[in-house]
Amino acid sequence: MFGYLMISLAVIFVAVFTFLPIIASLGLSLFSWDVISPPTFVGLKNFKRLVADSATVHSFGVTLVLAVGIVALQLSLGLALAVLVNQRTSTWAKTTFRTIFYLPLLASTAAVSIFMGYLFDAKFGVINYYLNLLGISSVPWLTSTWGSMITIVLIAVWQQVGFTFVLFVAALTSVPTDVLEAAAIDGASPLRTLFRVKIPLISPTILFATVVAMINALQLFDQPFIMTKGGPGTATTTATIIMYQTGFQNLQFGYASAIAIVLLLIILAITGIQFLAARKLVFYQ
Amino acid sequence: MTNGLGAMDRRTLFKLGGGAGLASIGLGALTGCGSSSGSGGSSGTIKMLYFGQQSSATALQKALQPQIAKIDKTATLEVTGINGTDWNDFIAKVLTQIASGSAPDIVSVATEGLQQMASKDLLVPLDDRVTKDLSSLQSYFDDIHPALIESMMYQGHLYELPDSFNAGSMFYSTDLLHKANVPEPAAGWTMDDFHSYAKKIAALGTKVNAFDWVVRLWGSWTSFLYANGGNLLEEGKYTGGDWLWSKAYANNQAAAAGRGGGWKWGQPTANSPEAVEALQYLIDLQRSGMSPTPDVGGGGTLQGLFASGRIGMTIGGGFWAGGLHNAGMKDGSFDVQLFPKWKTNKSLFGAGGYGIFNSSKKKDLAWEVVKLMVQPESFDILFPGNVTTPGRKSLMTAKRYETTGPKHWSVFYDQLNGSVPISAPPYYNALATSLNQRTTQAIASGNAKAALDGMQADFEKAAQGS
Repeated sequence: MFGYLMISLAVIFVAVFTFLPIIASLGLSLFSWDVISPPTFVGLKNFKRLVADSATVHSFGVTLVLAVGIVALQLSLGLALAVLVNQRTSTWAKTTFRTIFYLPLLASTAAVSIFMGYLFDAKFGVINYYLNLLGISSVPWLTSTWGSMITIVLIAVWQQVGFTFVLFVAALTSVPTDVLEAAAIDGASPLRTLFRVKIPLISPTILFATVVAMINALQLFDQPFIMTKGGPGTATTTATIIMYQTGFQNLQFGYASAIAIVLLLIILAITGIQFLAARKLVFYQ
Repeated sequence: MTNGLGAMDRRTLFKLGGGAGLASIGLGALTGCGSSSGSGGSSGTIKMLYFGQQSSATALQKALQPQIAKIDKTATLEVTGINGTDWNDFIAKVLTQIASGSAPDIVSVATEGLQQMASKDLLVPLDDRVTKDLSSLQSYFDDIHPALIESMMYQGHLYELPDSFNAGSMFYSTDLLHKANVPEPAAGWTMDDFHSYAKKIAALGTKVNAFDWVVRLWGSWTSFLYANGGNLLEEGKYTGGDWLWSKAYANNQAAAAGRGGGWKWGQPTANSPEAVEALQYLIDLQRSGMSPTPDVGGGGTLQGLFASGRIGMTIGGGFWAGGLHNAGMKDGSFDVQLFPKWKTNKSLFGAGGYGIFNSSKKKDLAWEVVKLMVQPESFDILFPGNVTTPGRKSLMTAKRYETTGPKHWSVFYDQLNGSVPISAPPYYNALATSLNQRTTQAIASGNAKAALDGMQADFEKAAQGS
């Protein structure tokens, strides 16, 4: 009884602020509603419209491309940094690097996005200023299709990599030393030890980091919304941005809810695929 | 429920949890205020929404309260500030607040949102009240430009009393013009003159740009589109409005000539030859290094660049007088001229005013407050420091601009002659979203025609859905 009491607050919180809105969104997706006139039941019409709406379908494509880029870079960079830091023997050095790499995660995404917008400004930004000093011509970071996508990925990774890094540092620290010593005695090179011993042993952590990073990346909103407003054109218009525009700007809350539900299903499907793949790729001791 | 499952009222949907919609994003916004009544508040409290920070809204509330007390000793004013990057953002937040059931009594809304709100019956027509109080309002109508009044009409009815506006004129840095050895532009200057100026300013070096602009509906590439004789939507006027023009402007029939019942925005014309030419001109200006890639919405960055002497010319209205002064520019370091003539001298403007919500339960008191807002003495309380242009011509004086500048301040009002309000139909939000997206697409690709074809399709789709 005491146990139920202890978890009740968390359960109520999750029920009210997570499950109820999801169920409500599901219900709302069956209506046409401009928030001012009475809602009208339209059945699955919003979902049929979504399939035929090239702008929305395109936004899901953009979301997937950005998410794959973010997750791949975030994981590889996080792992590389963790391996390098883990090789330091000094506790002071380890703590310092952990703090430095984790700090961006604590910053407000909105503030970071505004700040980065100025840094990456094509004409007046500091990044291009230094590139020009090196004799490199200005890069249209936020004003070209691929430039804006790459910039969004870089900034998202810069801010999120600290989380992945900390996970990997903890996992690498917990790799049994006797296994590493055995590898060393067998003459395994550092790279071979990394790929054949360490990575298999931390694969459960890699799975966890991949799932969390993918779920976050598929809900990408702040950086493109603030830095590019989804542009140029629709180059960085993610599913969450088009959901916001549809609901809160165009007042089509039923259709926006349908987009939200489809995004939820996509996230669930991708997470499921990741767990299925993990059966073969993840090694549990 | 009002119609089986087909249509249920908003509160029923809230009760069923539907109001929580859009997962957790919408939860706070939609359910947070769901319990209040339509006009809300204690007896005698007039609620007003204001586009700006809460600190400014509170200051405004305190400044106006003594005036409100003169109308009704028991009345209090409650001003809520709503932050937003642009009117699109503001309107979206206002509509979401209305949906939550906490509609205010008065809203200060610009041209951008007027038809959207009026078409959804959110605002109450002011026709009867204006007719009834015409004698006390006559000095107001004698003083305010009829174009501003007309811009606040929809389908023959007047929905707001305007008190301010901004018409798109051309600001320039006098320092950069002097360095480029070009004279300050005179009234009647043309696009050829503008281009010649741009080339000479650009020749000063890479640290300055001849021209800069912002991607938005007001004062964007749209100013060039208007000057080129085009528009994003077909221009027309609703019939009606004689009830106002024949009486309020009985002493000035010339000013009322040709006025109708508000601007009727017809079929989209976003990919007209005039539009393609105007947008391609600005793209070419950017590609030739004379103009940076513009920001979307807002205008803060542009203002900072202009104030720091890195921009030669840009589009601005009266709001820039206060804006540039507050940014540290000295009077004389910038000035303004009418927008250059292209194929026509048509320009654009947007107006701001006050309307009463249909759901208000204190409409009579709200009307008295609206009338107070448009009194001459209220203007500087509402807009201290020349942060917009007064709609009343009597307030356009040399004294008003002697601290902030610019020297040619009279341009702000003169620009209204021959100008057209920004094309903000009932589907304004969808239009603004597409305008931003397609304009940035055009800049990135360099192909105005392809982007404007897309904009045309977007507008047609939005118009059908409205």
